[in-house]
Amino acid sequence: MSDQPAAGQTVDIASLTFDEALAELQRSVAELEQGGLALERSIELYERGVALHERCAGLLGQAELRVQRLVERAAGELAAVDARTEDGAE
Amino acid sequence: MSRSGPPQNEHLWGDLPIEEPRGDDRSKPPDWALPAWDSLPIEEAAAARLQREAPGGDAAQPRAEASRAEASPTEPAGGFALRILQVSEITRAVRDAVRSDAGLRDVWVEGEVGRVTVSSAGHAYFTLKDERSQLACVFFRDDRLGSPFEPRTGLRVVVHGRIDLFESQGVYQLYVAAIQPAGFGDLALRFEALKAKLAAEGLFESGRKRPLPQRPAVIGVATSATGAVWHDICHVVARRWPLARLILAPCQVQGEGSAASVAAALDRLARWGEMCRAEGRPDDAPAVVILARGGGSLEDLWSFNDERVVRAVVAHPVPVVCGVGHEVDVTLADFAADVRAPTPSAAAEMVVPDRTEVAVVLRELARRAGGHAGRVLGGARAELAAEGRALERLQPSAQLAQARERAGYLLDRATRALRGEIGRRREAEHRLASRLGPVLVAQMGWRRVALERSSAGLAALGPQATLNRGYAIVRRRSDDAIVRDEAEAPAGERLSVRLAKGEVAATVDPESDTKSGAELHAGDLR
Repeated sequence: MSDQPAAGQTVDIASLTFDEALAELQRSVAELEQGGLALERSIELYERGVALHERCAGLLGQAELRVQRLVERAAGELAAVDARTEDGAE
Repeated sequence: MSRSGPPQNEHLWGDLPIEEPRGDDRSKPPDWALPAWDSLPIEEAAAARLQREAPGGDAAQPRAEASRAEASPTEPAGGFALRILQVSEITRAVRDAVRSDAGLRDVWVEGEVGRVTVSSAGHAYFTLKDERSQLACVFFRDDRLGSPFEPRTGLRVVVHGRIDLFESQGVYQLYVAAIQPAGFGDLALRFEALKAKLAAEGLFESGRKRPLPQRPAVIGVATSATGAVWHDICHVVARRWPLARLILAPCQVQGEGSAASVAAALDRLARWGEMCRAEGRPDDAPAVVILARGGGSLEDLWSFNDERVVRAVVAHPVPVVCGVGHEVDVTLADFAADVRAPTPSAAAEMVVPDRTEVAVVLRELARRAGGHAGRVLGGARAELAAEGRALERLQPSAQLAQARERAGYLLDRATRALRGEIGRRREAEHRLASRLGPVLVAQMGWRRVALERSSAGLAALGPQATLNRGYAIVRRRSDDAIVRDEAEAPAGERLSVRLAKGEVAATVDPESDTKSGAELHAGDLR
């Protein structure tokens, strides 16, 4: 059963942002708690919930702050370039 | 007194038997003697006094006696008398003139502080200058220590005090009573005036304040690229919420042009956000902006009281958190911001959640999901088992479908009730249910009417409802026994699968292990 890709599971969890994963996890839990679900749906929701939780926890633990600097080029064109935290100089 | 022209000077010099004290060449007058005394533009009062004293006699001026003897006018004609003065005399004459001038006794002078030295006694000596002149100032220890403001080189200040002569050096000085930064009163007045004006426009009203996003993915920061503030903000966000991305819009936060620079940085962040949204990547647009600056003097923070900065904050497309200076410093930008933070670091803490707190929320969600999934599956299994037993006893058929549903429900309920009341072990329950089953069937006839009345409600919980939810009832064709165990359906066994609507025939595949797979899975979910 777990080998079969569920029909609703179209979005790859690894590509979700923290907020997206958290929102889906919250929806899954709410649906589970509401009850009256078919067995398959319960299992599907739970499995996906576990994966969503792992995604969120992984992001929380492993994320590294990304720092950019907004630079204005000629003609007022803006660009965000990656910068280092300790990079103090202009 | 009439001013003498050069010819008269020469004439006088020629006639006077001046003795050179150091025996210099007498053929020409010494440098220091030119120009002649009476041509010096000294204070008239002092000159008049000197002239009055001249005939007064040597006894009255013993200290000037020698020189007066030498300088005695040989030609008093025309009322003119040459007098050679002591240094201290002229100094005192200037001093008196200065002291008698009411305009110099109480002065306010604005200028830029030049070199400052503080003596070991604690007095401060400094020069005050403008484009054309310098003024020596002395700030005595007691006044200095009582002053909230110290003279520092380069500052524009307003000094209050009196002009007097320091006789031993022969210099006039400003004796400082108080010193303040230039424009101090001005700034306070301008602050209040602008605040009143902008408040009247409603720019500071609490109704304008926007709530901060819970977990911003991108945070704009307008501050100086150099200095501790930017570093502190990076540090706080990296610790609390490293999932975020910071975008710095560098700006000059003090000095000439800083207000325009800060407003321009806010504008760049606003344009960047609009650009991201227009290009269909709204996730790259800042969800909140921090405007920050470290502590400093009133002038240092002044650009954050500039109308351009205030308007840029108010007009910004996303909420602005203002963290300028220390807790006590309040600028107009603080009033205009959606949230005011006491310091730059506090601003950073306000815009992001703490990941350890979010982790607790996550764990709770996971616990709830696991608990409910476990209960759902456990309940489903118990229900299935009970219905299975009921069906087994009742030998269901198409004709008895309705009665079967009701009976199944009642049996199930009875089983559960008994389980609750007696708390017997599973075997005991099963025995009781076995005995109860036939009794219930026997009673079915006279209960039918009553049952039908409540059947709509009961149906939701009966076997048909369960079948509707996707469960199936599997029986062996050979003896119509319900299959609950893999062992009851060996390979090749022919089965009948009861669905919500109708039945299908099936044969157990020799290689199939789906049932054990499902069992294993349900176990995982506990």
